[in-house]
Amino acid sequence: MSYAIEVESLRFRAGSFELKDVDLHVPTGSIYGFLGPNGSGKTTTMRLVLGLLRPLAGRIAVLGHAMPEDGPRVLARVGYVPEQPHLDSTLTVREIITFQAAFYPTWHRAVAEDLLRRFELDERRLFARLSKGQKAKLMILLALAQRGELLVLDEPTDGLDPVVRRDILAALLEYVSLRKATIFISSHLVHELERFCDWVAVMDDGRVVTEVPMERLKQGTKRLIVSGAPPSERTGETPFVVLSRERANGATERWIVGEWEPEMTAYFEGVGASLVDVIDLDLEDGFVELLRSFRAARG
Amino acid sequence: MFYDVDSRSPVPLYAQIAERVRLAIATGALGSADALPSVRQLATELRVNPATVVQAYRDLEAQGFVEIRHGAGTFVRELAPGRRARERSHQATALVRKLLADARRMGVSLAELQKAIEDEVGVKTP
Amino acid sequence: MFRVILFSQWKWSRLIVVAGSIAGFALPIISMQGASADRGALQAQELLRAAQSWGTLYPVLAAALGLLVAIATWAADHRGRHIHALTLPLPRWRYVLLRFGAGVTLLAGPMLAVVLGAVLATVTATIPPGLQGYPIALALRFAIAVLVAYAVFFAISAGTARTAGIILGAIGALILIQILATLANVDLDLWGTLQVVMLNWPGPFAVFTGRWMLVDV
Repeated sequence: MSYAIEVESLRFRAGSFELKDVDLHVPTGSIYGFLGPNGSGKTTTMRLVLGLLRPLAGRIAVLGHAMPEDGPRVLARVGYVPEQPHLDSTLTVREIITFQAAFYPTWHRAVAEDLLRRFELDERRLFARLSKGQKAKLMILLALAQRGELLVLDEPTDGLDPVVRRDILAALLEYVSLRKATIFISSHLVHELERFCDWVAVMDDGRVVTEVPMERLKQGTKRLIVSGAPPSERTGETPFVVLSRERANGATERWIVGEWEPEMTAYFEGVGASLVDVIDLDLEDGFVELLRSFRAARG
Repeated sequence: MFYDVDSRSPVPLYAQIAERVRLAIATGALGSADALPSVRQLATELRVNPATVVQAYRDLEAQGFVEIRHGAGTFVRELAPGRRARERSHQATALVRKLLADARRMGVSLAELQKAIEDEVGVKTP
Repeated sequence: MFRVILFSQWKWSRLIVVAGSIAGFALPIISMQGASADRGALQAQELLRAAQSWGTLYPVLAAALGLLVAIATWAADHRGRHIHALTLPLPRWRYVLLRFGAGVTLLAGPMLAVVLGAVLATVTATIPPGLQGYPIALALRFAIAVLVAYAVFFAISAGTARTAGIILGAIGALILIQILATLANVDLDLWGTLQVVMLNWPGPFAVFTGRWMLVDV
C-alpha cells in the first residue's frame, strides 16, 4: 500500500495551541476525509504537510518525498485550496489563471476553460469583487487545472450555499473519475464527507482521535439498548469500544459503542445481560459521541 | 432511475446503486444492450466516490447482469428469459420481508396486515 | 514565470512608475528653464543656483521610487500572509529573485525618463561658456540611487514582520547605546560614525549625498 501522505509523531506548537503525536496515513488514490471541530488543528496539520510550517518533531512524507525539505518539487504535483482566499485581489480572474498556469508544467488549459464556463465565472472580474462562492470556485478551478496527483482541500465548501457546494463537489468527483488522484479534504460537515470518503481521520484539540475506513466508522458506531447490564467496573474487556452509557428506563441502558460487529451480541450473553436492540447511528451522532468520550477520557 | 442514495442507511452505497440497477433491469426500464451511466456521470450526479460506482458495476458484472467494456462503458447483458422474472420475484420477496419486519416492529398482526392488503387491493386473497 | 510576475507587479505599481517617469523627465527640463542665448555672465551663477536647488529633488525622487515600488511588490504577499507564494512550486529564493528583477525592470522606466530629460535639457538649453552639462553622469547617478533605495526597501519588505522587527530593534538598540554613552560621558558618536561609514564613499548611501548638478563647471 503506498501512501500519498504519511505523517508520523508530528508535534507543533504555536502560542498556546499544540499538536501532539499526530499520525496520518493517506493511501494513494483514496478520498480521505479529515474531520474535526473548529480549532482542532486541521488547518495547522495541512499547512505542516505542505511545508508552510516547520514541525517541532516528527516525520512528514508527501508523494514519497520528505517535507518540508523537498517542498517545491512536491508542490508542483499538489493542488492546494486553503481555508481563506489567498489570491491577489487586484488581478482579474483571467489574470490569476494566467499567473498560475505559468508555474505548473502540467497545467491543462482546456480544463481551466471548461471549468471557467461551467462555474460561470466572469474572467474580467477582479478577484476582490467576486462573491465568496465564486472565490471558492476559482480556487478549486486552479487546483483542478493543475492536474496534480494530490489535492489538499481545507474546508473548501465552508460557508457556501448548497448549489455552489454541489457544483464544487461534482467537479472534485469528476476529477477523481478521470484521473487517478488522492484527495485529502477537511471539513466539519460530517454528512457531506460521509458520501464519498473512503477513509476518515477525526481530530480534536490537536490530537488524532481515530483513523479508520469510512465504512467502519459508519457501520461500527451503534446505539445499543441493553437490559440487565453489569455496572461499569464489572463489564470487563468488551470486543467493541464503549463510547458512552446512560440509563434509559428501569433496568435498561442506552450504550453508544464503536467498532461494533454483528457477532458481538454474544458478549452480552456472556455477562448475563440481554441486548434488546441495535440501532444504526447517523454518522453525525456517532461523531459527536466519539468526541465526547474522547474528551472525557482525556479528563 | 437513480434518484438519490441514502448515505445514512446501513446498506453500503455501492449495494444501493447495484440494487437500483437490478430493479431497473427487472422492470424493463433498462433493456438489453442499454448503456448504464458512465462512472464519471453517476459519481458526480450522486456525489459519491467514483470507486463506489465502480464497485457497484463490478458486483453487477459478477452477478451476470452487465458487461463492462473498457473504454466503451457498461452495458446490460442479454438476459435469459427467466432472469428478469426471477429478479422481479427477488424484489417482491424483499418488499414483503420489509413489510413483515415493519409490521412486527409496530405490533401489527398477520391477520390485520392481510385484511389491510385485501382492503387496498379490493380482492380477497386465497 | 518572469512574465506573469512582471505583469502582476506592473499592475500594482504602474501609477508610481508612470508618475515617477513623468517627474524624472520633467525635472531636468524645468531645472534648465533659465538658460537662453540672450543673457550674460550673471546668468551662469543663476543657472548653477537653479541646478543645485532643483538638484535636491533627484535623491528624493529616487528614494521615493525605490520605497514605493518595493512596498507595492510585497503588499499583496503580506495581505495573503504569504500562503500563495509559499505554495508555488519554486524555492523561496528564486521567487524573491524574480520579484526583485521585475521591480528593477519596471524602474527602468523612470531611469530612462531621466536620461532622456537630462539629455534633452542640456542639448536644447544654451549653456553659458565656462559651464558644462553632465546629463549622463547625473542620470547614471540617479539610476544607482534608485537601485540602492529599491534594494534596501525590498529587503526590508521581503522579510517577515520578525525581520522588520529585528531591524527596527537594532536601530533602537543603537539609539539606546548612544543615549547611555552620552549620559556616562563616554566619547562615542555612533550616529556620526555610522553616517560617515554609510554616506561617504564607498558607503552604500553615498550616492544620495552631495550636490546633484546637471550643469557644473
